[in-house]
Amino acid sequence: MALFERVFRGSDEMFAKAEAEVNAIVAKVGRDAPLNMPNTAYYLACIYAYIGKKVTTTGELQDALQDVKAMMLREPRTKSIFWSGVGTAIAAEMIEACKYVETPTPYEGTKYHGHFSDAEVRELGVPLVTNDIPGFVVMIGPAPSTEEAVEIVKGYQSRGIFVFLIGGIIDQMYEAGINMGFPVRLVPVTDEIWGVGHIISLVTRTAMIFGNVQPGDWDGFHKYTFDRINAFVNAYAPVADITVACGAGAIKLGFPVITNDTDDMWSVPKSLVINTDTKDWIDTSLEARGIKIKVTKIDIPVAFSTAYEGEIIRKADMQVEIDGSRVDCFELVQTKDATEIEDHKIEVIGPEIDEFPEGSKISVSYTVEVAGKGMQTDFESVFERKFHSYLNCVEGLMHTGQRDMIRIRISKVDYEAGFKFKHIGEVLYAKIMSDFDTVVDKCQVKIVVDAEKNKELRAEANKIFDKRDERLKSMTDESVPVFYSCIMCQAFSPSHVCVVTPERLGLCGAVSWLDAKATNELDPTGPCQVVTKEKCLDERVGRYEDVDEVVYNLSHGALEHVTLYSLLEDPMTSCGCFECICGIEPCTMGVVITTREYAGITPLGMTFSEMASMTGGGVQTPGFMGHGKHYIASKKFLKAEGGLKRLVWLPSELKEQIRDKINATAKELYDIDNFADFIADETTCGTGDPEELVNYLAEIGHPVLEMEPMDI
Amino acid sequence: MNFEKLISIEQMEAATNSLLETGAKVGADSWQQRVENQTPHCKFGEQGICCRICSMGPCRITPKSPRGICGCDAHGIVARNYLRFTAGGSATHSDHGRSIAHTLYQASADGAYQVKDPDKLLKIAGEWGIKTEGRDIYDVAHEVAETGLMEYGKPFGNLRFLDRAPKHTQELWDKAGIAPRAIDREVSQALHMTHMGCSSLPEALIKHSLRAGLSDGWGGSMMGTEFSDVLFGTPKPIDTQANLGVMEKDMVNIIVHGHDPSLSEMIVFYAQDPEMIALAKANGAKGINIAGVCCTSNEVAMRHGIPMAGNFLQQENVVLTGACEAIVVDVQCIFPALGPLSKCFHTKFITTSPIARMPDSDFIEFSDETAAEKAKEIVKLACENFKNRNPDLVNIPDLKANARVGYSVEAIKKCLDGVTNSHVDELGTMMPLVDAVKSGVIRGAVAMVGCNNPKVRADYSHIELMKKLIENDIIVIVSGCSAQAAAKAGLMDLEAKDCCGEGLRRVCELVGIPPILHMGSCVDISRMMILATDIANDWGINISQIPLVGCAPEWMSEKAVSIGNYVVATGIDTFLGVEPFCEGSEEVIELLRGESGTKQWVEANFTVEKDLDKMCDLMIETIEKKRAALNI
Repeated sequence: MALFERVFRGSDEMFAKAEAEVNAIVAKVGRDAPLNMPNTAYYLACIYAYIGKKVTTTGELQDALQDVKAMMLREPRTKSIFWSGVGTAIAAEMIEACKYVETPTPYEGTKYHGHFSDAEVRELGVPLVTNDIPGFVVMIGPAPSTEEAVEIVKGYQSRGIFVFLIGGIIDQMYEAGINMGFPVRLVPVTDEIWGVGHIISLVTRTAMIFGNVQPGDWDGFHKYTFDRINAFVNAYAPVADITVACGAGAIKLGFPVITNDTDDMWSVPKSLVINTDTKDWIDTSLEARGIKIKVTKIDIPVAFSTAYEGEIIRKADMQVEIDGSRVDCFELVQTKDATEIEDHKIEVIGPEIDEFPEGSKISVSYTVEVAGKGMQTDFESVFERKFHSYLNCVEGLMHTGQRDMIRIRISKVDYEAGFKFKHIGEVLYAKIMSDFDTVVDKCQVKIVVDAEKNKELRAEANKIFDKRDERLKSMTDESVPVFYSCIMCQAFSPSHVCVVTPERLGLCGAVSWLDAKATNELDPTGPCQVVTKEKCLDERVGRYEDVDEVVYNLSHGALEHVTLYSLLEDPMTSCGCFECICGIEPCTMGVVITTREYAGITPLGMTFSEMASMTGGGVQTPGFMGHGKHYIASKKFLKAEGGLKRLVWLPSELKEQIRDKINATAKELYDIDNFADFIADETTCGTGDPEELVNYLAEIGHPVLEMEPMDI
Repeated sequence: MNFEKLISIEQMEAATNSLLETGAKVGADSWQQRVENQTPHCKFGEQGICCRICSMGPCRITPKSPRGICGCDAHGIVARNYLRFTAGGSATHSDHGRSIAHTLYQASADGAYQVKDPDKLLKIAGEWGIKTEGRDIYDVAHEVAETGLMEYGKPFGNLRFLDRAPKHTQELWDKAGIAPRAIDREVSQALHMTHMGCSSLPEALIKHSLRAGLSDGWGGSMMGTEFSDVLFGTPKPIDTQANLGVMEKDMVNIIVHGHDPSLSEMIVFYAQDPEMIALAKANGAKGINIAGVCCTSNEVAMRHGIPMAGNFLQQENVVLTGACEAIVVDVQCIFPALGPLSKCFHTKFITTSPIARMPDSDFIEFSDETAAEKAKEIVKLACENFKNRNPDLVNIPDLKANARVGYSVEAIKKCLDGVTNSHVDELGTMMPLVDAVKSGVIRGAVAMVGCNNPKVRADYSHIELMKKLIENDIIVIVSGCSAQAAAKAGLMDLEAKDCCGEGLRRVCELVGIPPILHMGSCVDISRMMILATDIANDWGINISQIPLVGCAPEWMSEKAVSIGNYVVATGIDTFLGVEPFCEGSEEVIELLRGESGTKQWVEANFTVEKDLDKMCDLMIETIEKKRAALNI
C-alpha cells in the first residue's frame, strides 16, 4: 500500500477513536463539564495552537471534532498527509484529554507521566538555549530487546538528548530498573500511541511561550518547529498505520522519523529514514535532524551528560558525602601565572574515596587554578558558577550549593564503578578547557581531603570570596562603564533581548553582568554585546537611547523602547525561560511574584503558568515582567514604581531563599527591619482571593499601603 | 499559495509597452507590429501541405487536388516537411557542438581557452577508450576533441554517446532502426530522403525524424554541452538576477546574445579587465555591465552569475532601453530586426559569426585563434560608445528578480547528496529524488524547454504552467528561454518555494533549491537526457515509466522540433503548445501523437494542446497514470 494510503488509514483510525472517546465522556458527564488540562494556561494546546480554539468544556471538545475532521484532507498531495498527520496528533490530544475530565491526575500511581505542565515546558528554555539539550527523541514501541532499549536510551542521555517514550519500551526500561522522570530527561509518556498528543502539546506550547507564535497561526507553528525544535522520532517495527499517520504529522513539523520497518514503508530523504540496523539509530537520527553534538571526552568511569543534571541521590544510595554545612569544604577558581601551572595536573592531597567508610561526611576542597593570556580575575566566579552544572552531569553524583556551602553526594553505584575524588578534578579540567579555551591555556586542579588543612584553606578562600563580594557590591549600574545585551534565547525566542546590568541579571537567572562580560570577551561576536550607556533619557525609569537602539536592532525592529527599571513603562520583555514573574496586584497597588516551582494560585487569581502566558516570546506587557530571582533584592528592582517596597506576595519557598537579601535591601533603602515578614505567601494568603491579601497586609501593616498608587 | 512576490506577466507587458513608446518615438519597428502584418498566416503552410521541394510546384493539397504533381499525397508532404524541419534543427545544434569541439581542439595551457573541468574530460576519455594515464591533459583534450569531431562524419557504427543511454532504450532504438550513426549523415540523409522522388512513406520519414533528432540530443548537443563544461567548467548553483532591470543606467551595458559560449566567455573575461574598466570610466560610465539574452545568457549565467536581461522575445527590448552600448551576437535566434533597430539608437549591433551575417551590423569575425583580441576589441567599442548614448531615451524598467541557476546533472547530484543519510544511503545517486517521487511527496517532474512564440502570449504559458505544476508538487527542470521566463518571474528565487505544494516546498527547503531548476541552454537539454537515464538506472525502471514529461509550450524554432523528436525518442512523452505544421495529415498525427507510431517504437509520443489549462491537466494526468502503473 502506498504511503499516502497508510497515513489516511491511520488518521481515520485515530479520529474514530477520538470521536468514540469524546462522545463517551460527553454521554457520561454532559456537554457542560469543565475540561482543564492541569497546570497550563494553553487549554488543549494542540487545538489552541492549530485551530485557535480555547477548549474549556467537554462540549467544546466535542465541537472541535469537526475541525479536526476538516483537516484530514484526502487529495493525493503531500499537503493532505501533512494536515492529516497534524490532525492525527490533535485527535490524540483529544483522546488523552478525555482522561482529564474527571480527575486532574489520571496517571497518578501508574508508570506514565501523561500531560506536561507549563512549568516543565518553561524549564526546557535555558537548556535548549545553551544546547545542553541538543534535541528530543520520541521513541515508540518496544525495542528488539531490553538490553538494546537500555543501550540506546542511555546513548541518547549521554548526548543530552531529551527522551520521550511511548509504548512497550517503557516496560523495557522498568524491567532494567532505569531511573525515569522529567528531571533526568527520560519521560515515559503513555503506553498507547495517543501519548503523542502530550508531546505535540509540549511542542506547540514551546512555540507559543518562547516564540510568541499566535494561536491559529498554522504557518507560524510549522516554521518555528521546523527551524528551532530539534526533535525526531524513532519508531520500532512493526509500525502500525496509526503510527505512520502520527509520523506524517511529525514530519510536517520538521521532525524526521527513523524506523526499521521495511514492510510497506517508503523512505523519504531526511524525513522518513529506514535503517534496519537499530543499533545505528542514534547517529542516523542525529544526522537526519542535523544535530551536531560537541562531545567533551572525560576520563571518568561513569557516564557524563546533561541528562543527569537533575538526578537526585538519596541517602540510602549514597557512598560518601562532601558536606559544607557540617565540615570545612569549598570550591574555588584561582588565576595563576602560567609558570605556576602544570597543565592537566590533578592532585589529590589526602586519602582517596576508598579509604572512607560508607556514609562518611568528608571535608573536601577543590581549587581549580587557571592561566591564560586572556584570563581575568572577574571570570573566576563565572567559571565557579559552572561547577554546579559540570559536576551534576556526572551520573550518580549530586552537587548543590556554591563557595564554602557545597554539598556533594557520591553514589554507591559510582563508588563501585571506581569513581574517585580525582575524577572530580578530571571533570572540572575537561569542562573548563573545553568551554573556556579562548581564555584558558593551562589548568590544574588541587583536591584537598584533609579536615585540618581545609580549615585553614577555607579561611583563606573566604577572604577571597569577601573581596569578590566587596567588588560585586561596589559594582552598580552607575559604576560600570557599559551594560551588555544577551540574545542567547533568540534561538527560540527570536524577538527577545535581555539587557544585563550589574543590578539586573538576565531573567533566566543564569546570566549576570559578569557572565555577560565574560561571554562577550570569550566570543566577541557572540550572543552578548556591549551596550553603551552614554545617552540617558530618564534616570528614574532607566531609559537610555543607547539601550533602545540596541533593542531595536537586536529584536529586528519588534521593540522600540525598553526601560531598565520599570514594570509599567516599556518594561523589558521576556523570552519564556524566566525564573520568576511579577505582576501588579491592583487592590493593594503592590506586586506579586511567583516562580516556576510554585504550582499554586497567587492573589491575582492566576497561577505561574497563567501569569507567564501574559508575557514571554519577546512581547512587552506592561504590568507583567519575567525576571531572575536575584533581581528581587536589587536596589533597582521596580525602581520606577517605588522599588522592593511594592512586593506584597511571594511563594514561601522563594521568600526563604532570598529573605536575608531583601531584608538588607529594604533596610538600606527604606530603613525597614525584617521586611520579609511583611510579605504574604501561600501559607497566609493561599486562596487566590485579593480580598484576603488586602486584609492580611492591613493587619500586618505592609508599607505598600502608605505608598502612592501606581499610575496603571 | 504565495504568488504575489513574483513579477507578473502584466508587469512585464507594461514594461514592454513603455519601451515600445520609446520605439515609436524613434521610428523603430517591432515584432509586435510585424506579427500584425503577417497575420493571418498561410493556411497551407500552417497545415504542412505546401510542397516546394521541386520546381514543378509549389504544390498545395486541397480536397480537389489531393496529390502533388509527382503524386505525393498530403501525408508524404507533411512528413517530408516535418523531417526537413527536424534536419534544420539537428544541423544547427550539431554544428554548434562541432564548433565547441573545435574550440576544445584549440585549447592550450597558455591560450585563450583552457581545460577548466579536467575530471569531465577524463570521464569522457574513459568512456571513449582514450588513453589518459601519464598524458598531458591537453593531449587528452585534443584527442577527445578529434574523436568527437569524427563522430560527425565517421563512416561506420553508431554514435559513441548512445552507450550512455539505459540498455532498454538502446534496444528500442535498435529495434526501430533509429539509432543514429554519424551526426552529419542523419542530416544529409534527411535531405536526401526528402528530395524529389525519394521517400513519401510517412512512417519512414517520421522514423528518420526521430533518428535525426537523436543525432542532435545524443550527439551534437551532448557534445556541445559536455565540451563546454570541459572548457568553461561544469555549472554549479550560483546566484544571479533576471529581467530588464539588470541593465545598469550608469554603466556600459554589453548584451551578449545567441548560443555559443566561446564568444561570451571571452567578452565576460575582458569586461573585468582593469584597462577596459578604466576606459569605460574615461567615457563617463561607472563600469561595465554584461547581461545576456537567449541561450548565451544561460551559458554565462550558469557559469559566472552574469545577469539575464531577457529571453527570445525580449531581444528588441534591450535595445529599446536606450542604454545598450552593444549587442554582441554569435549564432541562432537573432532577429535580423536588430540591425535596423540599433540604427534608431546609439547601440552597436555586432555580429561575429560567418554563420549569422546580417545587414546593418558591424561584423567583427570571431575565431578560436583570435578570440582574446577580438573580444577586447568589442568591449572597447562598447565602452567608447557610452558617450553616444542619448539620456532622453534611456528607460530601464525597474523589474529584476533573484535567481539561483546552474543545475547541471552533477550539481543536482551534489544537492541530493545533502539530504542523504550516511548510515543508509549512497552518495552521488538520484535516489533521494527517486524516493521523494516514489513516496508521493513529489508527484513527478516536467522538463520544460523551448522558446517564445508570438502565437502565444509571451512567457505566459511557461510561467502559468510552472506555477500550476509546482503547486501540485511537480518539480520542473528547465532550459533555454523557458528557464529565463522562470528566472524573470522570480520562480528561481529560493523563496519561490512558498509557491509550491507542501511536498515540493519541503523538498526545496531540505535540499536548498528553487522549485524550478535551471539546467542550461537549449543544447543542454542533453543534460536532461542524462538526468532521465540516471533516474531510470538508479530506480531500476525504464525512462518511459518515470513520472516525467517534456513540455515546450511556446516553441518556435527548427531546433525545438529536433529536440522534441529526441526527447520523445528517449521515452519521454512531450507536450507542445504550438502546432508543428502537421495538421494536414491524420496519418502523421497518428504517428506522432497516437498509439501506433512513436508510442510503439519508443514508448512515448507528442500531445499538442493549445488550451493551457487543459495542457497542464493532461501533463498531471500523464504523470499520475505513470505513477499508478508503478503502483505508487
